[in-house]
Amino acid sequence: MIPVRNTDAPLPKGVADFLPEKAAKIGYIQEKILRVFELWGFRRIITPLLEFQDVMALALGDNLRERMFRFDDRQTGKLLVIPPDITPQVARIVATRMREYPLPHRLYYSGRVLRHAEIQSGRSRETFQAGVELIGLVSPEADAEMAAMAVEVLKGLGFDGFRIAVGQVEFFRGIMDSAGFSPSSRELLREAISKKDSSALREILEQEPVSDRAKEEMAMLPRLFGGREVLAEAERVVGNERSKRALENISQVLDILDIYGVGDYLTIDLGEIRGLDYYTGVTLEGFVAGLGEPVCSGGRYDNLTTCYGFPSPATGFAFNIMALLNAAERRPDVEASKTGDFLIFNGKEDRREALELAKRLRRKGFTTARDIIRRGFAESLEYARKMNILYMIVIGAEECADDEVYVVRVADGKGVVLGTGDLSRKDFPERFGPLQGD
Amino acid sequence: MTDFITIAIPKGRILHDSVALFKKIGIDCDELLSDSRKLIFENPTQKMRYMIVRATDVPTYVEYGCADLGIVGKDTLLEQRKDLYEPLDLKFGYCRLVVAEPAELSRTDDPSSWANIRIATKYPNVTEKYFAGKGVQVEIIKLYGSIELAPLVGLSERIVDLVSTGETLRQNGLVEVETIAEITCRLIVNRASLKTRHGRITEILEGLEQHL
Repeated sequence: MIPVRNTDAPLPKGVADFLPEKAAKIGYIQEKILRVFELWGFRRIITPLLEFQDVMALALGDNLRERMFRFDDRQTGKLLVIPPDITPQVARIVATRMREYPLPHRLYYSGRVLRHAEIQSGRSRETFQAGVELIGLVSPEADAEMAAMAVEVLKGLGFDGFRIAVGQVEFFRGIMDSAGFSPSSRELLREAISKKDSSALREILEQEPVSDRAKEEMAMLPRLFGGREVLAEAERVVGNERSKRALENISQVLDILDIYGVGDYLTIDLGEIRGLDYYTGVTLEGFVAGLGEPVCSGGRYDNLTTCYGFPSPATGFAFNIMALLNAAERRPDVEASKTGDFLIFNGKEDRREALELAKRLRRKGFTTARDIIRRGFAESLEYARKMNILYMIVIGAEECADDEVYVVRVADGKGVVLGTGDLSRKDFPERFGPLQGD
Repeated sequence: MTDFITIAIPKGRILHDSVALFKKIGIDCDELLSDSRKLIFENPTQKMRYMIVRATDVPTYVEYGCADLGIVGKDTLLEQRKDLYEPLDLKFGYCRLVVAEPAELSRTDDPSSWANIRIATKYPNVTEKYFAGKGVQVEIIKLYGSIELAPLVGLSERIVDLVSTGETLRQNGLVEVETIAEITCRLIVNRASLKTRHGRITEILEGLEQHL
């Protein structure tokens, strides 16, 4: 056989192969998220991996539109894209195929999207998303439902120092549109606000021919983050109706979230305007301590289904599974998701007993694999260790009577004789005593 | 470990200014000025940690959340355009990002007639954006240091570089033609840190702001 070097089979930058250990952890996180979605009454939807570029682009902001993977469709000669986001697909499906369904739609999805990333940024181009869309409701209750679900998922995944940052883009729009800032400065203002760059903001405002009131409103935006007191502060300064309505809306959402009992996990940021060309109301982003990027993001997007001819208010959010994995990978429950329960090592010639035992254990819900390769006990144990299997069962060991097996705890190699019936009991690990070297 | 606040600070003069500024708000990090080769310092009583990194790497450490806060020149931020908060202008480390050319060329040169020019610089992104805004096509040669050398040996006609006193330009027979931006040091903050550790970070921000 010709040896194949790694470099002979390279992979494009920004994508990765996930081997069993990592894939198991990803699956574990996905399952936990999807379970919460289902418990809240959301139903799964599966979107296609290809779309027409012109159709997809209808519902995308500039940022994503430029980052799509595109190529020719041999059948139509049109441009195809691999979706960079699933929400626009859901909007298209709802607007075209689900018009006759009663509202609201509670839909969830779990899939992968592709986006071009900067060269050498080390960023992945492939993102695993799991998200929900709640379509047909304008009520603050719908927005609150999103934030409450996000909290439930993050708590369920064992995070505690996390925060859901709640924003309201209409607050910013109200200030921007009521004051009549010059078109040339609008983009600069947006950039300064999204960076909370007060000094740049001050410089821009000095040159603007707008009222002092408008300047004061704009200048406070980088500071309007923190607890609920932020709303009162904003209320004091802001004069325009649109921003006032936004404040009232976000405060209604927060009131409902208090009833959900998740107030402690929230932080408010009225200067948060990422996704301004997309969102139309309350936005949310989830952050966990020690991880730079958000683990989930979303918000209200009342104009999206209109892109496909079906105006309907909507809100939703999505988790970034790889970000969650980076933050939670080392935690014991996530770590445990990669382990298997039993490996059966058959010391007898006859395979009947091994197959019967495996069948019984699987029926009880234990993962059970058989080491079919003929090899010594030590090699088999080493295999079990590398496969993250917790226990090895030896059938036909000298010290065993009929109906008994010798069970080895793979972590420290300690063995005990157990009746085959004992194996399906939850407390059998106690028979091994404390783990050696722990 | 996670209740520590980590600050990424670049080596050199900025380090001294930063240590002095933090001292004013009671954060003692004199240790950073010692002659040590250590790259990371901890102050367990104040729950602070300091990382010493290259200036151009500061935004990266902060963007990825390895550091909660960072101190870095606006020039680096303009060039890298990372997704970060930049809430404070620390006012020190003042310099300018300029277009410069040989004095001889400048006597007859008319910047308004530039159509396509060649520029050597450490700042290709800023340079490209600046000239695109002026409608000038520009061929950029990325260099990593001693930019002033480029026009002297015919690598490019002009350069874009940082200037503080202008002495290096003068000694190499170059003059400033245009200013792209005024540069000072900024305090940058990781997005997640600002949201998840809002209390301690706000305290630091407000403290520093009173001494600027």
